[in-house]
Amino acid sequence: MAEQELELTGWRKWFAEVGDQCVFFTRFFRNIFKGGFEWSEFIRQCYEIGYRSMMLVGITSFIMGAVLILQLRPSLESFGQVGMLPKTLSVSLIREIGPVITALICAGKISSSIGAELGSMKVTEQIDAMEVSGANPVQYLVVTRILAVTLMVPLLTVIGDIIGLAGGFLALNIKDSVSYTLYLHKCVASIDFSDFLPAFVKTIFFGFAIGFVGCYKGFNSNKGTESVGLAANSAVVTASLWIFVIDAIAVQVTSILFYK
Amino acid sequence: MEAVKEKKEATTKPKKEAIIVIKGLKKSFGKKNVLKDINLEVDRGENVVVLGKSGEGKSVTIECIVGLLTPDGGSIKVFGDEVTDMNDNQLKELRMKIGFLFQSGALFDSMTVRENLEFPLTRVLKMKNQQEIDERVNEVLEGVGLVDAIDKMPSDLSGGMRKRIGLARTLIIKPEIMLYDEPTTGLDPITSREISELILNMQKKYKTTSIIITHDMECARITSDRVVIMDSGQYIAEGTFESLQKSKNEIAREFFKDIS
Repeated sequence: MAEQELELTGWRKWFAEVGDQCVFFTRFFRNIFKGGFEWSEFIRQCYEIGYRSMMLVGITSFIMGAVLILQLRPSLESFGQVGMLPKTLSVSLIREIGPVITALICAGKISSSIGAELGSMKVTEQIDAMEVSGANPVQYLVVTRILAVTLMVPLLTVIGDIIGLAGGFLALNIKDSVSYTLYLHKCVASIDFSDFLPAFVKTIFFGFAIGFVGCYKGFNSNKGTESVGLAANSAVVTASLWIFVIDAIAVQVTSILFYK
Repeated sequence: MEAVKEKKEATTKPKKEAIIVIKGLKKSFGKKNVLKDINLEVDRGENVVVLGKSGEGKSVTIECIVGLLTPDGGSIKVFGDEVTDMNDNQLKELRMKIGFLFQSGALFDSMTVRENLEFPLTRVLKMKNQQEIDERVNEVLEGVGLVDAIDKMPSDLSGGMRKRIGLARTLIIKPEIMLYDEPTTGLDPITSREISELILNMQKKYKTTSIIITHDMECARITSDRVVIMDSGQYIAEGTFESLQKSKNEIAREFFKDIS
């Protein structure tokens, strides 16, 4: 009996959480269109989120591009298809690996930092102070952050893809001698609209999920120092999970729309 | 002591007008009934101190007044309007007339003191003229004696300075009602006394009506026109500081036993 009650509580808790997220989403959505958009805070967040994550995304993408070439080379070499390396790299990087790796890095860096920042603001009553002063904390803290992440993650992905291709070029030239123009030509020639567009669109959803989860977890954390850590941790885990869910859905949608 | 005498003279009012009226207020958290039956009237220009042990729900009462918490029952009328029936816009308008000083000061730690003070002016009062904003900022900083701290970050300020800046930020929108949540907690006796006298001076300067939640007897003595004592979710004794000192109520006597 006690176990049944516990299970019921668990489900109730889950439904309550889903309900809370819906309410939070509605509050976010309503506040986008309310007057007085916080442009200065939005630009500051774009700088904090975009510019400050560029180095990490760049280094990771560079290594990822180089490692992919080094890993693919023996397999393709056995089929005598070394010439396919630039094409294989560019397709896999732009379609899948670039967006997902960039999004996961952003989930780790951005979602956790937003969760911790808003969580600590909640604990120290800064959000309550904003609310009782008559200001709108959702508009100032949530709308700006979610929109900034939604804008920055696709841009970081594009930058990451370019740097990843550069990493692949360097790795390719360890054993072979390929000119930059030939490499670039092979990479670009193998990519078409149906490779780039769905990948770009899904990064917008990745960005939104990262921002939304970070803000939701931080904004709804409990009042205790422990909850700041929990908010950050939970934000990373949930955002990462959402990235894979969105990716799985995006693959299905892309297949239906572009590869019938 | 001089400030106390002056305060007594200032509070001799010919006409009384209750601007906060609380009747039968109830609030529970889970199974714990924090507020059982709170009844309180606060007249315009009056300073009411609420004394009580920690965890008795003193702060919950003032959080209900500004709509941060929704009561389970009872009525709260501020300026004659029922707070529990207000929509978001009405609540926002009400909050523009109420200042709330949080226990920690709740300064926005990513902003300088200047930005903290400008925040309610630009976001709540929608002031655009920078000269007017600067004048208002300097005025309140002079009031709390911290003009030199204008470009400091909250992390560079001491506990007492944070409370002063918190008070300045609350007063900058010139509220008619001030709610203080344990304004002297965590401060040394000298700074506590300075803050208490500052509260009194600011009340005289801005002609505010105040509810001060505290368990600091010195703060209560300096700032109060009337003291109410809270125990087990109800107000059990009420009167001036001096009259409660002679009270036969056991809990009241406990509070006043160390006061000479």
